[in-house]
Amino acid sequence: MANEVCFRTLDLDRPWLLEQYQSRGGYEVLSRILKEQTPPSEIIEEVKKSGLRGRGGAGFPTGVKWGFINRDAPGEKYIVCNSDEGEPGTFKDRDILRYNPHQLIEGMAIAAYVIGARRGYNYIRGEFWEPYERFEAALEEAREAGFLGDDILGSGFDFELHAHLGAGAYICGEETALLESIEGKKGQPRFKPPFPAQFGLYGRPTIINNTESLASIPEILRQGGDWFRELGVENSGGTKLFAVSGNVNNPGVFEVRMGMPFAELLELAGGMKEGRQLKAVIPGGSSAPVIPGAQMMDLTMDYDAIQKAGSMLGSGAVIVLDDSNCMVKVLERMSYFYHEESCGQCTPCREGTGWLYRVVHRIETGQGRPEDLDLLDDVATKIPGRTICALGDAAAMPVSGMLRHFRDEFAYHVEHGRCMVGGNGNGNSN
Amino acid sequence: MNALRNYIKSLFLLELFKGMSVTGRYLFRRKFTVQYPEEKAPVSPRFRGLHAQRRYPNGEERCIACKLCEATCPALAITIEAAPREDGQRRTTRYDIDLFKCIYCGFCEESCPVDAIVETRIYEYHFENREDAVMTKDKLLAVGDKYEAQIAADRAAQAPYR
Amino acid sequence: MSEDRATVTIEVDGREIQAKAGDMLINVTDAAGIPIPRFCYHKKLSVAANCRMCLVEVENVPKPLPACATPVNDGMKVYTRSPKAIAAQKGTMEFLLINHPLDCPICDQGGECELQDVAMGYGGDVSRFVEAKRVVPNPDLGPLVSTDMTRCIHCTRCVRFGAEIAGIRELGATGRGEHMRIGTYVEHALNSELSGNIIDVCPVGALTSKPFRFRARAWELTQFDGIAPHDAVGANIHLHVQNGKVMRVVPKENEAINETWISDRDRFSYEGLYSSDRLMQPMLKDNGAWREVEWEEALEAAVNGLRAAMGSDSAQFGTLIAPTSTVEELYLAQKLTRGLGSGNIDHRLRQTDFRSLGDHPPFPWLNGAIADLEDVDAALVIGSHTRKEQPLLAHRLRKAALKGAYVALLNPFEVPLSHDAEQIAVSPASMVAELAAIAKAAGVKATGDLKKRIDGAKPDDRHKAIAQRLRDAGHGRILLGNLAAAHPDYVLLQALASELAQTVGAGLGYLPVAANSVGAAIAGAEAGRLPGWKRTDAAALDAGAMLEKGLRTYLIAGIDPELDCANPAGAVATLAGAECVVALTAYRTPTLEQVADVMLPMALFAETSGTYVNGEGTWQGARGVVAPVGKARPAWKILRVLGNLLGLEGFDYESADAVRSELEAECEGFEPAAGEIELGDAALMLQNDGLVRAGDVPIYAADTLVRRAGALQHTPDATTGFVSLNPTEAARAGLADAREVRVTQGENSVTLPLEIDPAVPDGCVRIPAGVPGSAGLGVPFGAVGLEKG
Repeated sequence: MANEVCFRTLDLDRPWLLEQYQSRGGYEVLSRILKEQTPPSEIIEEVKKSGLRGRGGAGFPTGVKWGFINRDAPGEKYIVCNSDEGEPGTFKDRDILRYNPHQLIEGMAIAAYVIGARRGYNYIRGEFWEPYERFEAALEEAREAGFLGDDILGSGFDFELHAHLGAGAYICGEETALLESIEGKKGQPRFKPPFPAQFGLYGRPTIINNTESLASIPEILRQGGDWFRELGVENSGGTKLFAVSGNVNNPGVFEVRMGMPFAELLELAGGMKEGRQLKAVIPGGSSAPVIPGAQMMDLTMDYDAIQKAGSMLGSGAVIVLDDSNCMVKVLERMSYFYHEESCGQCTPCREGTGWLYRVVHRIETGQGRPEDLDLLDDVATKIPGRTICALGDAAAMPVSGMLRHFRDEFAYHVEHGRCMVGGNGNGNSN
Repeated sequence: MNALRNYIKSLFLLELFKGMSVTGRYLFRRKFTVQYPEEKAPVSPRFRGLHAQRRYPNGEERCIACKLCEATCPALAITIEAAPREDGQRRTTRYDIDLFKCIYCGFCEESCPVDAIVETRIYEYHFENREDAVMTKDKLLAVGDKYEAQIAADRAAQAPYR
Repeated sequence: MSEDRATVTIEVDGREIQAKAGDMLINVTDAAGIPIPRFCYHKKLSVAANCRMCLVEVENVPKPLPACATPVNDGMKVYTRSPKAIAAQKGTMEFLLINHPLDCPICDQGGECELQDVAMGYGGDVSRFVEAKRVVPNPDLGPLVSTDMTRCIHCTRCVRFGAEIAGIRELGATGRGEHMRIGTYVEHALNSELSGNIIDVCPVGALTSKPFRFRARAWELTQFDGIAPHDAVGANIHLHVQNGKVMRVVPKENEAINETWISDRDRFSYEGLYSSDRLMQPMLKDNGAWREVEWEEALEAAVNGLRAAMGSDSAQFGTLIAPTSTVEELYLAQKLTRGLGSGNIDHRLRQTDFRSLGDHPPFPWLNGAIADLEDVDAALVIGSHTRKEQPLLAHRLRKAALKGAYVALLNPFEVPLSHDAEQIAVSPASMVAELAAIAKAAGVKATGDLKKRIDGAKPDDRHKAIAQRLRDAGHGRILLGNLAAAHPDYVLLQALASELAQTVGAGLGYLPVAANSVGAAIAGAEAGRLPGWKRTDAAALDAGAMLEKGLRTYLIAGIDPELDCANPAGAVATLAGAECVVALTAYRTPTLEQVADVMLPMALFAETSGTYVNGEGTWQGARGVVAPVGKARPAWKILRVLGNLLGLEGFDYESADAVRSELEAECEGFEPAAGEIELGDAALMLQNDGLVRAGDVPIYAADTLVRRAGALQHTPDATTGFVSLNPTEAARAGLADAREVRVTQGENSVTLPLEIDPAVPDGCVRIPAGVPGSAGLGVPFGAVGLEKG
């Protein structure tokens, strides 16, 4: 049931080596496509059929995205992989880069073939030094083996792939800010439209996909789109990497089929710590609104179910909070993150994130005022949808979510100037 | 009939006695005539008299040359010129109030964002030369320095109503 | 592109509006007069869409959309005042204000602040933000722009202005989120000649004018129209006046002339009006001592002095008049001079080569509209430091270059540009040969001396490329700049440029030296040219000849002889030797005290009514908006009275308009002709194997007014003089470690600081003209000797 796509080589010894990858059929799909000169439209159809949705957080169907690009347009086109995994709680792409870099390279080469790109970039988060080195090593192996470079496998298809290490800005995970960053400019999102498919890297048509999405491609094409789709459930095809963190016994990345009940995933992650009750779950990275534990236990892990519960699956970063966690403290930490990471371009986000953080911080430090809760609610509704990129939304959603489900905890904090839960509220009071 | 009544009134000097009785009554009541200048009438904290410019307790003049008083003055009695002071701060190089023009409306005081220009309780002043009617910055500051305690007390008394 | 876009109909607040498909919504609503608040949007800058103030509701779109970045399409329904739109705008306003200081009373922008204005409509009355506000340190951006970065609302207009208009990225945003700051990163003074425009584009008081700092409030100022008197653009300006004093200058929009920009020179030169050396009262030299006198006495002395010195020989009288004077002044000066029977009048004070170009030379103007410069496909600029010489024309050329035009420059040193260009930098002595090489590559056929030059040329690939690009261009332009105009072989450069232009099918234009160089030519203030640019054969001396020969009497108007003449040392010596020099001057200078006999205080721009004719030939009139300082009088009035007192006919003007009308009547039928150059005997004057001086006039030394503008004189572009050499030449001259250099030019020598600059080519030494440091030297181009000073 697990480790069927991106982690399918995980059981091997040093799975990141080319020979190991090839022992499981690595680069076969690419070779076949190049040999048969499979029409790109067929590949796009197959990907569409698979129901693969962007694994970076937005969940946009990958096949549809590929279809946006005009393959026959003259001039350079680019394929860019977004490995700038900055969302707090998310660490799944890191493990793909560490343990299965070749599958990503193969996926990118196929994507490049489909859209007619001759150059690709993998933008890797600045803090990922080890994965970056491993990915570079894999690139070198692939080049030597002739899977990258000019005239790959004698097919006449040229593709060169470069890794680009970021410098630690969360905003560079936003696709247009990422492009700006690759271009050597300050990482700030661009106004859309035009979308990258028309005006992307260096002003050329560009496709940007998440690491997990691209790494899923070879396996989808090897086993067929239908196979992949049927792994999951309606509207959420395939498997998904869930990065489970928080107060569980065995945090980590788990590749499971879409639609798995949360309770099972929690079990995989070792369950709650001794004597602790599940309080809440943030199901899709820090920007997803929180879902109370009881409600979460009845949900399955797929796009539709989580969305119906008022949150989002996002990047699949599941943060588990138990009864020792103070929600004010949790929100303070998250608000601080967005306050620090706002690029500063749009007014509502630049000023609003700082305001949110300061108010939450005040409540946390016992300086809250009764009207602060309404103020928080109001400010959090004035940011989303009014900025160039989604960081404003991401900063406001957790605030709205927390206040929706845990308003009493905030009110207690304001009234008593201290936590409802005991200890320091960090969840490690023992 | 009317003529007869008037005749009696004037014959017995009735009007005179009526008048004298008023005089007599007030002769023994408490006097409310103020013997100015030996005596002074009470003055409200809101009294709008001679202008003054105030300083902060550290001696720094309050006025920042925003020119709102100049703009609001209905009598065009205020003339301000400004320039950066040596330390780069915005200050007036000239602040004149022509007391002949001033109508003591108090708008300058109300418009001042830093409570620099105020109207004091002082109403006893005179000039010997026409040009003395122009209160220059130095003179205004001198008034302010001298009466700061009173001015501050008056502002405090008014504060709840502003 | 705009022509083939379909017309669409959109509905804004229930009102139907026609628009071009793809236009941004804010352009459409602006044109229709529907107000939408905005901060980051500026019609001349790219769309950033970052302030989020212009959010409006569009039907069927869930989120509010920024009007500045939303293209219109057919049937679109927009609501700018709906509850949703207002809520979005008010939300943004609150965010903008939480960290904006409440220091309007000490802010220079107060009263003319976009944030204040919009806050009146969209701001709340009470702040819900109780935390400490952000405070940002202020970078020092030099003497022109004052910063209060705490007030910054991060609209990035200034950043975009630098990147897109000025062409040098001096300002940028560093830091993220709330920590984002606008600054230069490494603190330095702004170097752009257009930097003052960031004061105008800044919607708040973060960037304000330093010379104007704290001086006046917007509501105290009265706004008058004016014309900037410094370059051939004649930028339209607003003069802001308080109590009879010009307090500041801001641009007036005129798309055809200056768009919405003005150069720093136009913006800050007003300070020169109130320079401490302004002449307030007429002055007379009595036995070598100056004394202040009344106008009557001064005028009488002037007239008597002129008469006595001139005697019966009217050819002993000459007039030198600044090309920055108004057309009226220029016209009256020539009328007076010619009325006295002399043909000796000239405004071409910096020109050194006056050899004949035949009977019908081209009219020295831009040869086309200023705005047309944007549309050239290829341009060759000969002898011009474009950015510093003609800031706004350089901006137009930059726009052309950004659109893909090919720009080539031939200069005696490499000039810093804000766009791509092919630059040929050679010693002044080789400029003619280089141009001849381009001409040869283009296949120019010529005769006489020109043929000699062309035959001797050896075109290389660069020359061939320039010739080819000019030939291929649908709209090519060859422009002669001020460095060419001062060149000893100006006629050769003109003749070659003219032949080249004809051969490749390009237009030949001139970058006029001063605000009214074209006007002076039209007004007849030029030797051999009557009003209306009519040729005359009457005996006449040009500026060079007048100062070389030495006349008995001179009338000089609006010039500092030691800075405004081509040969400063020679000019001062000649004038000092004259019997009578009457000076119309705004300033009292030691040199004038030395050479003049009477000083008549004249009014400057903004103090006098007058007309300027810019490079494209547009007549732009300006009124006097403040009274002249002291007892100064407008120069046209002084000339008129001098005419009366000298008993000349037709000097009974009642107004400057009357003078202009008379000139206009005389110019009837005048058309700037393309002309034809017939070069007589024209040998190469500048032949030197040693070091040759190249003397450009620095941007803030161009005329009497700007030389006295305090703030501009503290910018990096201001200089009192220097010597610059490339490292090789410096080593060759044994000056590698020298700090000061003794420069000898002919009999003159001065000591100047040395700057090593690789932009100066071999064989050339750059020593600016028009500055005090080089006032002791001769002509701007010529052989010089250097030794360690």
